[in-house]
Amino acid sequence: MYVVVVYDTLAKRNAAILRLCRQYLHHVQRSVFEGALSPAQLRRFHHKVTEVIDTGYDSVLVFTFPPGTTPERHEWGIAQPAPSDIL
Amino acid sequence: MPTATRTYWLTTPCRIRRKDQSLRIERPDGSPVHIPITDVRDIVACEPIDINTAVISLLNQHRVNVHFLSHYGDYAGSLLTSDTSTSGQTVIAQARLAGDPAASLDIARAIVASTAANVRRVVDRKLLTRPMTILESSIAGASSREELMGAEGTFRRSAWAVLDTRLPDWLRLDGRSRRPPLNAGNAFISYVNGITYARLLSAIRLTPLHSGVAFLHSSMERQRHSLVLDLAEVFKPLFAERLLLRLAGRGQLKPAHFDVDVNQAMLSEPGRKLVVQTVRDELAVTIQHRALGRNVAYDELLYLEALQLTRTCLEGTPYKPFRIWW
Repeated sequence: MYVVVVYDTLAKRNAAILRLCRQYLHHVQRSVFEGALSPAQLRRFHHKVTEVIDTGYDSVLVFTFPPGTTPERHEWGIAQPAPSDIL
Repeated sequence: MPTATRTYWLTTPCRIRRKDQSLRIERPDGSPVHIPITDVRDIVACEPIDINTAVISLLNQHRVNVHFLSHYGDYAGSLLTSDTSTSGQTVIAQARLAGDPAASLDIARAIVASTAANVRRVVDRKLLTRPMTILESSIAGASSREELMGAEGTFRRSAWAVLDTRLPDWLRLDGRSRRPPLNAGNAFISYVNGITYARLLSAIRLTPLHSGVAFLHSSMERQRHSLVLDLAEVFKPLFAERLLLRLAGRGQLKPAHFDVDVNQAMLSEPGRKLVVQTVRDELAVTIQHRALGRNVAYDELLYLEALQLTRTCLEGTPYKPFRIWW
């Protein structure tokens, strides 16, 4: 399923969560990640995120889209193209 | 096959680095791109790439294979992770089947017949009817792999000739040539075949089959996975010939997509991008599978084919190679 992850963490923990997100999703903006994950991958990712963040202070928003669909993407301002598998 | 992972295609020269337990692709122009390692099923490198030990160990952890295509688009080799799906039982059964002349010749016959049927379906049903009947009779009479390959070669020559009549002048093949391809049409076919080969190798690595023990091609061949050559045979027309006809018919292929020299031709950088993109999209096309009763992507057909051969080896179910049924 398609996933968009946005995080807001204490500056001290930014590096750790960035590193973790990079293993699972494409980095599109400073604290925004997107990509396709399987349910199992998402669960594993969730588990790892809770180990990194302080659940009393940090917040991570996760938007998931139903399997087989991708959200429509609009780029306003500087174009930030969707991650491609042809490089 | 895992569904949430993708094949990554590298169409510009680059360096792969390990960063944050994930991959970073560095290109001479432009900013580096981070790729989440869990999203990678395998990588097809169409251009020279640099890689180091740290990356290889990461790729190995995540079971990611890297396939390399040479300058001319021929398959150059692969960086394969250690085999995880091996099963001695299957390999022994496969070797036993390949060692049995009658059984392996049956499989080889089936492969040749299906390949020809696919070629005929893709190129021209009517004009290839006669060569097909000739091929069928020579298949039935063939008593060795060499004879089979010869019969297939004869059929293929007529098919290439018919294919030429449907292509614009500058794309004509004038007979198949490889290493290096002599003209634009051949360069295209070589390139797509190289990709098909690489994709099929990935698919076979997911099954317990041994990629070196083959039925039609000689198992003696080195630096080539003979079994992959066998199975790639039936899929080549689905991609190479079909896409060549389609792109030529739509006028999408332009002379600028090729670098043509005296006695050799290859895809230029924009051409390479176009071909890779087309093949990538084509692999994702789905078709209703009659036996499974669900939609499968062309990419998955390759995997299903390898699975079917596994069953033939283990359970002796007759092997029916892939035929375009739509």
